Amino acid sequence: MKPIKVSLISGSPKPLSSSSGTLLDELKPMLSSRFHVNIHSLNKPSVPEESMESILDSDILIFSFPLYVDGIPSHLLSCLYEMEIYLKRHARPDLTVYAIVNCGFFEGHQALPAIELVKNWCYKVGVSWGQGLGVGGGGMIQSLSGVPDGQGPKKNFSIALNELANHINTCSEGENIFVSPNFPRIGYKIGAEMGWRYQIKNNGLNKKDIGRRLV
Amino acid sequence: MKLIIHDLDKIEFERLLPDLPDSCRVVSNDGTIKNCIGCFGCWVKTPGACVIRDHYGDMGEWLAKSDEVIIISKCYYGGYSPFVKNVLDRSISYIHPYFETRNNEMHHKKRYNHTFETSVWFYGDDITDDEKATANKLVIANSINMISSIKGIQFVKSVEEIDGGIL
Ligand SMILES: Cc1cc2nc3c(=O)[nH]c(=O)nc-3n(C[C@H](O)[C@H](O)[C@H](O)COP(=O)(O)O)c2cc1C
Repeated sequence: MKPIKVSLISGSPKPLSSSSGTLLDELKPMLSSRFHVNIHSLNKPSVPEESMESILDSDILIFSFPLYVDGIPSHLLSCLYEMEIYLKRHARPDLTVYAIVNCGFFEGHQALPAIELVKNWCYKVGVSWGQGLGVGGGGMIQSLSGVPDGQGPKKNFSIALNELANHINTCSEGENIFVSPNFPRIGYKIGAEMGWRYQIKNNGLNKKDIGRRLV
Repeated sequence: MKLIIHDLDKIEFERLLPDLPDSCRVVSNDGTIKNCIGCFGCWVKTPGACVIRDHYGDMGEWLAKSDEVIIISKCYYGGYSPFVKNVLDRSISYIHPYFETRNNEMHHKKRYNHTFETSVWFYGDDITDDEKATANKLVIANSINMISSIKGIQFVKSVEEIDGGIL
């Protein structure tokens, strides 16, 4: 049987240590052993020539990217447009696309417009839409990679990733899923704001500089 | 001030708005824009300004000086074009990194004691109903996050259809 080719694509502009990458690392072991998995990072506004063919020669594409201003980060949007042009010449009607969108805010449902953008892209370029997953609390995802699956603050993430993996493994379409951490929203807010103060001090500034006004 | 963010070429833009008042600032694509690298330097290194010092690093300040923002963008999949989205991605220094809850959702606080109105013109000859529905959701979400009010969201088939009275 021909192996099923799957491309995992991180769309964070950060090539290393991104929440988008961590989510793909978590998803990968849940995928079927029949799959031949390739990993790509699209962190610049253009798809490297050697990646274009490899990505679009897949049977399944899984994009994982951060929510930027309620949408797709602009560099990744440029890449999607390049893919649209490529697909005009090389139609791939049997390709199925899934999207994982992580966002800094607590509520995963804030990723809905970005998921819809990817779905609309699918219709436009003539590939199939699979499913979207919106993950809130993106700021804590990387710190959860050591936590066992399905435990503590990771519980909802693991359930959602498993549900997504089940659809990917059967190459089927599913309803979008939205999750937030199993962690109080106020705790997430306090932790994140402490993080900003820590970073601003590390940069040699004072904590009140955080609200600096230039006008 | 009115801030116009658009992705038209020079000729198209001048045809659309030949007599631009001095009170307008125009953000056009000069081909040099860099993409946001997700460093949050605009919040923790040079608060209020982007650390990338190309021609688009002061969007936060420009938004703070604007009472109206007019966006003219080709519609891509129900959203902005890559250039317009790039400008918006480079604009988060306008808001404060701290969070607050609005409509029972997490959003950022204001950096400036200021708001602006937003009008968006999406153009494209094949914008689908699904794309329009997404674009509406996107602009509403942006207005909540940028603490701005929506003056209008319009879809037109071509730039020529954009009402000359947009100002
Ligand atoms: C330019 C920019 C815009 C952002 N816009 C949003 C947003 O609209 N909503 C949100 O919840 N988070 C937003 N974020 C936060 C990111 O989605 C969040 O930090 C994410 O976890 C980063 O993922 P990554 O590590 O994979 O890049 C934004 C971040 C940046 C840098």
